[in-house]
Amino acid sequence: MSGSYRVPRDTAAPALPALRIAGLRRTYGSVVAVAGVDLEVRHGEMLTVLGPSGCGKTTVLRLVAGLEDPDAGTIEIGGRRVAGAGGSVPPERRRVGMVFQDHALFPHLTVADNVAYGIRRDPDRSLRVAELLELVNLPDAGDRMPHELSGGMQQRVAIARALAPRPDIVLLDEPFSNLDAALRTQLRGDLREILRAAGASGILVTHDQDEALTLGDRMAVMVRGRIEQCAPPEIVYGEPATPFVATFVGIGNLVHADCRHGTGMTRLGPVRLVGAGGRVEGGALAVIRPEHVELEEAADGPAEAGAWRIVRRRFTGSEILLEVEAPDGVRLWCEAGPAVRRLRTGDAVRLRLRDVETVAFAPARTHQPSGVEPARPEAEALVER
Amino acid sequence: MQPLTVPPAPRGRGALGARVGGLVPGARPPLALVAIGLAVAALSVLPLVYLVIRAAGTEADALTFVLRPRTTAVLGSTVALGLVVGAGTIGLGVPIAWLTTRTDLPARRLWTVLTVVPLAIPSYVLGFAFVAAFGPRGALQGLLQPLGVERLPEIYGLPGAALVLILASYPYVVLAVRAGMLREDRSVEEAARTLGDGRRTVFRRVTLPLLAPAIAAGTLLAVLYALSDFGAVSLLQFDSFSRAIYLQYRATFDRSLAALLALILVAMTLAVTSGEARLRRRARDFAGRPARRPVEPVALGRWRWPAVAFVAAVVAIALVVPAATIAFWLLRALAQGETFRVGMAPILASLGTGVAAAGLAALLALPVGLLLARHPTRLARAVERASYASFALPGIVVALALVFLATTVLPVLYQTLVLLIAAYAIRFLAEATGPVRATLARSGSRLEEAGRTLGDGPVRAFTGVTLPLVRPAILAGAALVFLSVVKELPMALILGPIGFETLATEIWSTTSEGFYARAAGPAAVLLLLSAGTIAVLLRDDAR
Repeated sequence: MSGSYRVPRDTAAPALPALRIAGLRRTYGSVVAVAGVDLEVRHGEMLTVLGPSGCGKTTVLRLVAGLEDPDAGTIEIGGRRVAGAGGSVPPERRRVGMVFQDHALFPHLTVADNVAYGIRRDPDRSLRVAELLELVNLPDAGDRMPHELSGGMQQRVAIARALAPRPDIVLLDEPFSNLDAALRTQLRGDLREILRAAGASGILVTHDQDEALTLGDRMAVMVRGRIEQCAPPEIVYGEPATPFVATFVGIGNLVHADCRHGTGMTRLGPVRLVGAGGRVEGGALAVIRPEHVELEEAADGPAEAGAWRIVRRRFTGSEILLEVEAPDGVRLWCEAGPAVRRLRTGDAVRLRLRDVETVAFAPARTHQPSGVEPARPEAEALVER
Repeated sequence: MQPLTVPPAPRGRGALGARVGGLVPGARPPLALVAIGLAVAALSVLPLVYLVIRAAGTEADALTFVLRPRTTAVLGSTVALGLVVGAGTIGLGVPIAWLTTRTDLPARRLWTVLTVVPLAIPSYVLGFAFVAAFGPRGALQGLLQPLGVERLPEIYGLPGAALVLILASYPYVVLAVRAGMLREDRSVEEAARTLGDGRRTVFRRVTLPLLAPAIAAGTLLAVLYALSDFGAVSLLQFDSFSRAIYLQYRATFDRSLAALLALILVAMTLAVTSGEARLRRRARDFAGRPARRPVEPVALGRWRWPAVAFVAAVVAIALVVPAATIAFWLLRALAQGETFRVGMAPILASLGTGVAAAGLAALLALPVGLLLARHPTRLARAVERASYASFALPGIVVALALVFLATTVLPVLYQTLVLLIAAYAIRFLAEATGPVRATLARSGSRLEEAGRTLGDGPVRAFTGVTLPLVRPAILAGAALVFLSVVKELPMALILGPIGFETLATEIWSTTSEGFYARAAGPAAVLLLLSAGTIAVLLRDDAR
């Protein structure tokens, strides 16, 4: 499969997205895995899909790859219809590159043969293999067998193999989930560079929000078969579209706010409302991030009026998170600045809001999807009563 | 009849090195365990050693004997049998494994069980069934006689022997390939699809190469079975090594020549066994993680019913023909007013030797299992290897070696039940130690240590904690040994006292002489007995 007929990426019509999915549905018996998904991946863009396990994100990838057929909806890769009305193009003719969760290297082939698998008809394949092994920083591993490699190395080989036939789009299914934490962070950075260097467009599916935030040019948050929000990571974090997104991506305290003309009045002070939140009027829930709150030791101790008490302290290595409780039982997660790092559980603090831009949700939309686990234990939502 | 119902010997450090207990590595095993272990190892390899000595002492020129046309003809026949059985078991086993694991074959579970059942039928029972059904004076010819059919195609020789052995041993291929397919990481095939290959190409470039070690390992087990088999080849009068060894042993005074033949057979089985072990290791390297998401089975479409017909035909020939033949001859015996009864003597002989050997093996299993699981020293490894070596040797070879040993070293034991029972216990010991060792390795010594910290003395901790824990394993192992002994033919035939008949020897000798009606009764009893034992084993398994 020679890459010569491909239109060079830089001259390709920029209007044509690498991937366009519309109204995609897939059910297994009575279980709805994908319940109407629309997504677009632009050329050279990396889209990350974040969601709790079982939300249907892997199914979306498999539908794009053609490993399964959708019940409804259409998929276009590089402007070419591959699934939907008019039948389905088999996976081998979709020009997708897939990186599987468990790498799925061919155990009976050497590393070089694994990478060359999809380009066996390419007369220059040995050059291409060398080039790719160089790209993934494994220039001397060509003769080794997959089972002799570490998990991280297998991962790189899997990426090189997927990129070899110059696919129109690369699909990465939780590519780091089988690796340990330190390796994960390192490979994450490498992956970004590799994919940039290859100019690949892609979708990366993950349940790890750090991965989704750092790797995505844009990210989609998916739950129960639907996309809750699809936007650049900064927007998803700063202006979450739903309470679920607010509490699933990062730590989001949902605090009662009286909203009027783009300002929300909370018990901690006013917040400026942006995005759709700016149009909310009346009682609502505003999203307060831990870094929005400034802490100060209460001079008079617990006796001080309006003082909060520290009930939990979590040291994450780079920062300290404190869960504080008001006398009426309301709890919040806050970030401890240098001034209050030495405080312990039981100490009393004063809270003050920084100058904050955030979003608020009108009450009708505050229902959290049930059965959804927070991504991190500390990402517990606080809903003011 | 190679009893291969036990998982093959774990090899190398991986197996014995995997330790769960809190024991200090290299802790010195108690003297009693060492003594028992050494005795078992010595008894396991002694026959083989003696066989070598005996063969070396042959008066005839060994090389001339080995090279004479008769020997080379036997060698050729044995190789031919191995090749035909190998090809045949692949031809039956691979499609059956694929159909029952990967497709939407109707009643998949039922076929999965039924296609593996022939493994429980001794080859001489299948041999009897085929001779008595399709032989010159068999049931089919009898039924066709009124239609003027005087002769059926020849069943004796290679075609019959190969057919019977293929039917008896193809389940090895089914089991190995099934395991390989279930273990395979399906996303590997999906990766190949996304890399541009269609279904067929993926099968050729990925699925088949990945399954190759499993297919080859299963096939080698089947070939090993065929090489070691005595019952089927002797009943179907095919001169493979087993039969030639037996005839040589019966016919001449110079039994050294039989020893020489036996050594050649040992060499062949060793080659096959080591090949199988290497392939099994390779298969392990290829193994992936079991599929996480349910995989949709391949739709057979219009091939659905032809596939059912194929599987049903195999089951019919391997299971229904023997059952029908036995029933036919039983009824016929009744109809013709022949004194129809199964003598109690062979039943009691089979039961007695089986129970005695199983009991002896169970007694040895605990100390040997303790040695293997708790003291994985070099000695333990040697004991284990010796034990598996005697298990893998063809029965005819072991029997012959023991005859030599007994006649020259311990004439008192020659042709006594003591020798036969001890030989059985040693030969099938691996079946008894396997489950015990596995249980002990799983539990480690932590539970016993917990007992010690709770105030038990060492003896009490052992009897109170460890013994109850391994009791089911000891019983399961003993049941496996019982099953093997009851089905065993050549050792009973050669080592048994004069006039001693077991069910196995009864079936064999009456079939050899053409008294099919008299073989049918013991065959039915034997099948019921092994079915009952297997049922007990499975019930314990399910618990």
